[in-house]
Amino acid sequence: MGKKILVALAGNPNSGKTTIFNNLTGMKQHVGNYPGVTVERKEGYCIHKGIEMRIVDLPGAYSLSAYSVEEAVARNFLVNEKPDVVVSIIDSSNLERNLYLAVQLMEFGAPLVMAFNMSDEAKARGYQFDLEKLSGAFFAPIVETVGHKQQGMDALLDAIVSVAEKERNPRTRAVVNYGREIEEEISNVVEALKSEAPPGGYPYDLRWLAVTLLEQDKEIEKEITTSGVKDRVSQGIARLQKFFGESPSTEIASRRYGLISGACQEAVRSTVERRHTTSDKIDNFLTNRILGLPIFLVMMYLVFMLTFRLGEPPMGWIESFFAFSAEKISALWPAGSESAVKSLLIDGIINGVGGVIVFLPNIFLLFLAIAFLEDSGYMARAAFIMDRIMHKIGLHGKSFMPMLIGFGCSIPAIMATRSLENRRDRLTTMMVIPLMSCGARLPIYSLIIPAFFPQAWQAPMLWLIYSIGIILAVITAKILRMTILKGESVPLVMELPPYRMPTFKSVLLHMWERGWLYLRKAGTVILGISILLWAMTSYPGLPEDHLQRFEQQRNAVTAENITQEQKNERIASIDNSQAEAAIEYSIMGRIGRGIEPLLKPMGFDWRIGTALIGGLAAKEVVVSQLGIVYSVGEADEESESLRNKLIRNYSPLIGFAIMLFTLISAPCMATFAVTWKESGSIRWALLQFGGLTALAYLITVVVFQTGRLMGVGL
Amino acid sequence: MTSTYAVSESMEDYLKTIFKVINKQHVARPKDIAKILKVSAPSVTGALRSLAEKEFIHYSPYDLITLTQKGENAAKDVIRRHDVLQNFFEKVLLVEQKEADEVACRMEHVVSPNIMDRFISFIEFLEICPRAGEKWISGFGYYCDHDGKLDNCEKCIELTLENLREKKRKGGNEAMVVKKLNELEPGNKGRVVKVAVSGETGRRLVEMGVTAGTMVEIEKVAPFGDPIDIKVKGYHLSLRKEEAAGITIEPV
Repeated sequence: MGKKILVALAGNPNSGKTTIFNNLTGMKQHVGNYPGVTVERKEGYCIHKGIEMRIVDLPGAYSLSAYSVEEAVARNFLVNEKPDVVVSIIDSSNLERNLYLAVQLMEFGAPLVMAFNMSDEAKARGYQFDLEKLSGAFFAPIVETVGHKQQGMDALLDAIVSVAEKERNPRTRAVVNYGREIEEEISNVVEALKSEAPPGGYPYDLRWLAVTLLEQDKEIEKEITTSGVKDRVSQGIARLQKFFGESPSTEIASRRYGLISGACQEAVRSTVERRHTTSDKIDNFLTNRILGLPIFLVMMYLVFMLTFRLGEPPMGWIESFFAFSAEKISALWPAGSESAVKSLLIDGIINGVGGVIVFLPNIFLLFLAIAFLEDSGYMARAAFIMDRIMHKIGLHGKSFMPMLIGFGCSIPAIMATRSLENRRDRLTTMMVIPLMSCGARLPIYSLIIPAFFPQAWQAPMLWLIYSIGIILAVITAKILRMTILKGESVPLVMELPPYRMPTFKSVLLHMWERGWLYLRKAGTVILGISILLWAMTSYPGLPEDHLQRFEQQRNAVTAENITQEQKNERIASIDNSQAEAAIEYSIMGRIGRGIEPLLKPMGFDWRIGTALIGGLAAKEVVVSQLGIVYSVGEADEESESLRNKLIRNYSPLIGFAIMLFTLISAPCMATFAVTWKESGSIRWALLQFGGLTALAYLITVVVFQTGRLMGVGL
Repeated sequence: MTSTYAVSESMEDYLKTIFKVINKQHVARPKDIAKILKVSAPSVTGALRSLAEKEFIHYSPYDLITLTQKGENAAKDVIRRHDVLQNFFEKVLLVEQKEADEVACRMEHVVSPNIMDRFISFIEFLEICPRAGEKWISGFGYYCDHDGKLDNCEKCIELTLENLREKKRKGGNEAMVVKKLNELEPGNKGRVVKVAVSGETGRRLVEMGVTAGTMVEIEKVAPFGDPIDIKVKGYHLSLRKEEAAGITIEPV
């Protein structure tokens, strides 16, 4: 036939929708975003019996009433793109609630196929379905499937094809009969819609439109402009409100459930009466009133252990790979060549790309752990356990996980805020995430703490820095929720899905999708910024006369009558002075000098200033940048020579001020970019950047000045 | 305007009775219906057939009767109308319960939506308006029993004003007969009576299956004392006590 049809998969979260999607499309899929929102849009292709299908995996939804962003996206897709077939994927072990969405889909008038997924689980629980009866009650073919075992996929495809090929005639009878009172209002609204229809008519089933209007759906209300319909609807709502003593939307929803429980009573038999499933037993342990919290903390510890311990060896390999390629590339030029291209390739690009890639093992492992926690069902429990505390600071239980990930890296953390349904909650969480001291700040602390503080103070110092971050995050969140992000706190109405063993494939796929997103987003930004920073530290180069002076000094040393070893040492020191002079002469050095008066109140000089600017690319760059300005050549956090320089030039108080400032101040550019993307507006990214920098400045100045006056740590 | 869902009076009575019998005894047999409605078995059979034809019930001879969703909704509407009327007769007109019930049974079929609205509004108004209220209604009772004498009108108005001021000072407090979901302990079960959570959240709760009549069981409370985990329609749902306080439960 060579026909092409559009198939949408719709279903509740945790109904196994994505597994079926993966089964149907194999690896032929494409992940993107829906325009304007950061909801993933997954699309794939499949050919069955000569019919080409474009399959879209809609975001998980409990209903079409668009309570969350995901649900709004799912509904808009159905409304705007009018798929040829909608597959309603139903967790048949949790039939009634899953059928709610299916009933809404039917009312919407979507050509429907129902997939009773996880039918093995339902059978194990002792349910028996009279599929013929159910299919009659819901006017749609039903296919039993077991997603993770690939069962029923062919039958499902057959059903899709047959629904797609069927002549589409408008439904002659209503799916749900709402009873005399509501039906009367529905027919009134339908009449009004008919008499005041726009040219070309409404692009919806009129009955669906009427019901949706009576449910006070905000999105659909916007599409009605004629006053006759509006009046009719509000009269109807007012009357029904009066009659039932509650809002008609509640009554309508509960009558949909009436249809479902009626059908289930007739067509579902339960053979075994089991009070507690295995999942309940696991839950009695994992969310236990006493054990719940300790178990949760251990889990989180394990996640970080996994991320950082297992990530270490591959990080080493990646580092050596980049060092190796830098060496190979530099060998293309004659020794001692000062080619700008060489410098760009090695110092700009390879360093920049390396800086991103080196974190990949960590990021991927972290995403792997998160995917496992999510797919297994534990993530919802984490929100359940932490909600009380998060609610106190004006956030949501689901905010906890992103904030925790923030200790690893802000970028995946900000991406993880997608699980928050409410925009205000999501933005607040996003704004404070950089205050969770990320992994890239650790090298700064490990450089400074041993340099300035005695052994006994070192651990408490680190603890103090992390705690300051957490406390500031709590306060900032609270302030944000009271000011610009003011509003009713969002209620928690969250399903605790049954625990399931995640499949290897789905966890890996999850990890890969997110890791790839990170790589694309963060990668491009970090690369760009690295090149920019490279240019800023390299240009303008030292003028000819300066260069000549250093050259003369070197020649003088060569001519001197000393051992080769002494000569090398002297030349290295001259090289270092030259590098220092070059930095000072460059744009970066000039900016550092320029902002020095501003930095003075915090106790910083221009060298620290340049290092902090370098930290914009990535926080750990502060260390290597300090190494450059102090001309100790290659520096890392273990560098003793750099530590000695620091001790000679600064007091412990300044050391503490540096840590404080890097903890609080402007997040790295990659975070900026991700915040921009995820919040959908550069304003939020700018606010985060500016606000945190201002906060850091304020706090550091206060701490430094107080410390100076009190004579602490001088 | 006549609705296509309109049913004849006697049919509505049948539906109402079937609904009540099923709710009480879980099963409905023709002879139960016949007994309650005081009609002969053959006429019950005839009525049931015609209801089944119109898809209000599932019925075949010698089998149990079950309501279709259409039938159940029709029954619920009738019962709601009945309750409003009976309530008005008893509480406002101060008529004996039996008589109120009987008349309501007849009127419930013929009251137009508009008049129904007015009944409901009027009862509400009586409850809210300080010039009415319980005392005013008992005054009406006195008036009925004593051939329409009005003596203490001035005093009554003064008293009303005084009561209103006192009520404002104290703030209203109503006696509770049922429990709120947040008051239940883990392991407790109950049937949802009403979900009075405002706005989107209330609707979401209903969409998640917390509808009137559904059984819920408190499974557990989170380690920090909030939120709670309830089992509803065979799955676990968590919500804060704040929201749970808006859900009225009839403990079982």
